[in-house]
Amino acid sequence: MRYYFIDTDNEYIVDLNKCKIHSPEMVEYTFNHIDKNKVFGPQKVFVRQMAGKYYTSLDSISWKRVAKQDMPTEMLNVNRVMKMYRGFKPSGLSGSNDGELITNMPGKVVKILVNSGDHVSKGDPVVILEAMKMENEIKSPTDGIVKTIYVKEGDALEQGVLMIDLE
Amino acid sequence: MKKQNNPKRILIANRGEIAARIARAINELGHTAVGVWTDNEIHASHLEFCNEWVHLEGNTNSSTYLSIDNIIRVAKNNNIDAIHPGYGFLSENAKFVERLEKEKIIFIGPNSDAIKKMGDKATSKQIAMKAGIPVIPGSSDAVPNKSSAIKMATEIGYPVLLKAVAGGGGRGMRVCENSSDIEKNFDVVVRESESAFGYGGLLVEKYITNPRHIEVQILADKKGNTYHFFERECSIQRRHQKIIEEAPSPFIGEREDLRQAVCNTAVKVAKAVGYDSAGTVEFVMAEDGSFFFLEMNTRIQVEHPITEEITGIDLIVCMIQAAFGEPLGIPEQKWITRTGHAIECRICAEDPITMLPSPGTITGFETSFPQGTRFDHCIYSGLKVTPDFDPMIGKLVTKGIVRPVAIRKMKAALNGLLIEGLKTNIPLHKVIIDNESFINGKYSTNFISKEKPQDLVDIGIYVTEVYQKIAGIEAVKQGI
Repeated sequence: MRYYFIDTDNEYIVDLNKCKIHSPEMVEYTFNHIDKNKVFGPQKVFVRQMAGKYYTSLDSISWKRVAKQDMPTEMLNVNRVMKMYRGFKPSGLSGSNDGELITNMPGKVVKILVNSGDHVSKGDPVVILEAMKMENEIKSPTDGIVKTIYVKEGDALEQGVLMIDLE
Repeated sequence: MKKQNNPKRILIANRGEIAARIARAINELGHTAVGVWTDNEIHASHLEFCNEWVHLEGNTNSSTYLSIDNIIRVAKNNNIDAIHPGYGFLSENAKFVERLEKEKIIFIGPNSDAIKKMGDKATSKQIAMKAGIPVIPGSSDAVPNKSSAIKMATEIGYPVLLKAVAGGGGRGMRVCENSSDIEKNFDVVVRESESAFGYGGLLVEKYITNPRHIEVQILADKKGNTYHFFERECSIQRRHQKIIEEAPSPFIGEREDLRQAVCNTAVKVAKAVGYDSAGTVEFVMAEDGSFFFLEMNTRIQVEHPITEEITGIDLIVCMIQAAFGEPLGIPEQKWITRTGHAIECRICAEDPITMLPSPGTITGFETSFPQGTRFDHCIYSGLKVTPDFDPMIGKLVTKGIVRPVAIRKMKAALNGLLIEGLKTNIPLHKVIIDNESFINGKYSTNFISKEKPQDLVDIGIYVTEVYQKIAGIEAVKQGI
């Protein structure tokens, strides 16, 4: 079983190759991972369920608790939340184009600082978005010319909405 | 259990961890806790602790938790005797309290006059000055425009702080080092304070270098008895919002004279406005130990648990008793004593590096804490953290006999707090708790900008940890 982890500019692949059930409470998995077409591993991981909680171990001696998760679609790593796909990778999936400004959190457009046709440099603030009562400056990801502005001041936006196209 | 002689029906006009905390206090006293849920939060986990659940119609904060009319209508429809506002929302809204006074519903908080006087930074400053309490130099009233802000700043000297007259909770504030900073920030702060508080008036005041944020917990009853519950130090802040608080203050430390001076000044402030509930008097303390009155928060505060931990007194219970005119059971100030040291880490759904809110869904949540830990929270696996509400999802509190023990316990507690699915500031807290200046108790409100703990957060991806997480997920799916 293959797991894909995808965030804006990276893709990680983890393969679950072998599953050995030791008892109704304990199972042993063997993992590999693929990084830049090279295969790493294998690594054995034991999982044991005890009193409704899940513990994992690399050697079946020392155990570490993991939070019970019911097939989440996202995986957290400190400051990154990656999309998680099990089995196959959905087609047509890629990070945003460099010239597309997409909301990375839901929020309200407070102010649009550019007009269509303006030249912007990488790092220039282009939109002020209010989320959780804080104003955040959204900066241009690249040098370019503002092609189309799809939103207006006062709009409440979901995550993943295309706000501005740059050329 | 002894039945409450005169059980009251109390509406909790709030949500999240504080609503749950209040509901438990109401239950303990034998009253009826009436909780509310709104259309944009149908899975309101705080209801778990409420006896009755009421629908507060609307799907924005302004039509629900901030709507005086809507809350009063719900209260009247449900024969409510009293309302606890928690913190935020309508907790410091004098108009709301005046309406309740008119409708003969008890407000579990101070009288509207005290809120009005302390809610306006300019008025509160004048009251403090009149009572002989030191305040920070600056404009005593809202400055009319940019140029008068610059003129004022030149008079008192840079750096200055631009802040909303009606502000609180760190919103609508910017430090300005020179006149071009004021040019740049003035309109932003006006806009922020207009959207957050409905009023754009700004104050200019002297910014103190390496300041410490020291605040004193106050509790007063309706008979004029006013007590302090010692101080808290809340100097670890980001964007002027606290993230770690501790009690007692490590800066004041063993200097009992200084502690007494601050605490007694706080009592004086509370008495000057006829305060009659739980509240907090905030001070800025300079490096030489001199302190200035900042503001009084006329509500129960987020960080009240650390004071409860060192004094052993339930402040929410006392606040409810004070509102009903009941005795607090505290004969004299000297009966309020403190032992040990308590630390609180605010657990927020935010990026640990940028410290910006990061909404999402919690997919896994487990705890295993050392002795001496308290976790006030509203977290469950499946909780959706939306941008509608504050990103704070829980408060982790540890207590030890001395500060190093509290820190040791906090370290273990943070390691025992597992939250999956969205970004939290737990990794950042772990770095701060390990920071030398923090451990030595030598830090100011500039801690984050000076020490940059976010740069030390390990963001590496560890393959075996990923394997272990997947192994857990796979085992759950297989029904192990």
